[in-house]
Formats: sequence, structure tokens, C-alpha cells
Amino acid sequence: MKITDAGIHPYPAGDSTVARMALEAAGLGFDSVVVIGDAAHRPPGIEVLRGAVIGASSVKEVLKRVRDPAVRRADIVYVDAGDISFNRAVVSVKEVNVVRSIHATRRNAFDHVAARTAAEQGVAVDISMAPIIHLRGTKRQRALQRYADILSLQRRYGFPLTISSDARSILGQRSVREIRGLCALFGMTGAEVTEAFSSVGRIVEPHRPVRVVE
Amino acid sequence: MRPRPPAMRTKRRYILARILPYGVQVDQKQVYLAVIEAATSLLGDAASGLAQPAVVFCEGGYVVVRCRRGTEKDIAVALATVTTVADERIALRTVATSGTIHALRRRMRPIQHLSGDGEVKIGETYFAVYRYPRQKVDLVEKGIKHQKSLFFTEGDLEER
Repeated sequence: MKITDAGIHPYPAGDSTVARMALEAAGLGFDSVVVIGDAAHRPPGIEVLRGAVIGASSVKEVLKRVRDPAVRRADIVYVDAGDISFNRAVVSVKEVNVVRSIHATRRNAFDHVAARTAAEQGVAVDISMAPIIHLRGTKRQRALQRYADILSLQRRYGFPLTISSDARSILGQRSVREIRGLCALFGMTGAEVTEAFSSVGRIVEPHRPVRVVE
Repeated sequence: MRPRPPAMRTKRRYILARILPYGVQVDQKQVYLAVIEAATSLLGDAASGLAQPAVVFCEGGYVVVRCRRGTEKDIAVALATVTTVADERIALRTVATSGTIHALRRRMRPIQHLSGDGEVKIGETYFAVYRYPRQKVDLVEKGIKHQKSLFFTEGDLEER
């Protein structure tokens, strides 16, 4: 079972290079990281996966963007969450692996219908630590409420969760133990956090029945 | 005033945290204010008041935070939400928790600053180079205040 940070943004989007962030992640207890953006340089000692983010306003645009060569090369395809109809539709797109930025959407934008479809399709919902670490006051309270709501849906319907630091610098990365504590703020148990950390591994290499190749 | 007998004293816990980036100079009072702000913002006045967090030691790239026994996990989580100290971007990495400062001092490893510092130009900006073990290289923009920092490795620097 791999412990994966499901989203870091290295230089030039942030101020730390892939190698430095991977080194830091290894020291913080992670086995692998998903690099959003360019991950041409893959340092030894830790697995570096490539992630692509699609920020689109309509499902038609998402369907168009998933055919891009850059997105096709990616190990994990993320889509930024939008309104309720967009989220319901996007979780049924085969090429999409994870729906992210759920904290930035309106309340009930990810509802029980989207949750059921996500569970059927194996699409994960990303929980970013950045709003809990960097925001203060009502904005952080709203993010915690949204995460608690997502957690209750996950417990009912069983779709996968991923946890990302969304760090743009080594200063934004947090250890596995610290993330466990931060997730406990919205009621996530230690076992659920461990499961969420290993979701990326299951998305990349899903358990499928053995196929006989003749 | 006579001190209270040991059985009546409040039990304390001490949390050791490393300050990132290496070499950043922060004032103990400013760290205390940042920790209090983070704890109050995250846990609320009531929980922070009961936890009684205080910074008892801050030097050599480490900080020791004192709190009441039983609240150390909450304070450690609050330390994870500290992002700035006096407009300086930092991170506090919790290393260990103990009942004595003496035990924590044994966990403090001095951060070795390797020789070979110099200067590098990235884009139009000149950066001072600071090297650390495990191939880590910190680049600090040359200037008077609010300098930008970049975090590279030896390999990244050689590629440029």
C-alpha cells in the first residue's frame, strides 16, 4: 500500500523543484507524489506520477480536453469541480480519475447522485489540505464543512477519496502524521486517511480480474 | 510565595518543531504570536486557553512549544497551520513530543551548512546559493527585504 500525496505544484508554478519536493515528501513519510504539470525529471527514491488538471466550464470542453496529448500522457487526470450538473456529468466521463477543488464549489454541488455515480465509475474526490493550512476564519470553516459533507457521502456510497497537500513550495508540504491530525478536524478516522492515501495507487493500478492473453 | 507541591502542579508537554527554511532568523516572541494566532484560529479561544501554548525555546532552527498534558496533539495540529512569522514564510515541522526539554534537546540535530555558497542568475534575478546536506540547495534573492526564495537540489542547479 503506497502513501501518496495526490497533488503538488513544483517550479515554475511554485518555488520548489520536483526533485526538492520529492526529497521533502520522502522525508515526510510519503512513498509517491503526483506532480501537477511538468514531471519530466523523476528523482530516484520516490515514485513521481504525472497529473493533469482540466479546468473547464462545460462537460463538452472536458471531453475535448481529455483528448489532448498532454492529458493522455498523464497518470492521473483531475477535473476542477463546478456546479451540480457539471459535477454529476463529469464523474461519468471514463478518462477522468479525480474531481478536485470541491471546497471552492457551492454547497450541495457534489450531491448524492454524483456520489453514487462516482462510486460506480471509481472516480475519486480530492481533499486538499491547502485551505485548512492557509485559510483563516469563515473560509476555512466553510472548507471544513464541505469536507465533512463529502466524508458523510463517502461513508454512504464508498467512492474513493484522495488527499493532496496542493503545495507550491516545500513550506506547504505536511507530514503524514500532520495530515492525519488535520483530517481529524472534520471527523476523518486514521483508517480512512490511510485508505485515502492509498487511493492513487488503486487508480493507477486497479484490481481487475486476470485476463488470459492468447 | 511557596511553590506548589509536585502533585498539584500542572502537567506539561513539550513539542519540538524544526523551522523551515533552513537558516531563517525568527524572533521567539514573533514565533509565539504566530503559534497563538494559529491555535486560536483553529481551536478557538476556549480550547487554546486550556492548552496554554507557549514558546519556551527558539534557536538553531528549532522551536520548543510548551502546552498542557493531553492537548499536545491539538497544538501539534495547530503548528501545522503556521505559515508566516512576522511576514516571513516559514513552516514548522513537528519532530517529537516529550515531558522534558532535556529529552527534546537530544533530538535536535544542528543543521549543517555546507561550503560552496555562491551566486546564480535565474531569469533576470540574482540569487545567493546556500547548500545543505542531501543535495539540498536554497536560493535566496539578493536584495534588502522581502527576498524571494527558491528551493532546488544540486541536480537542478547543474541542469541550469
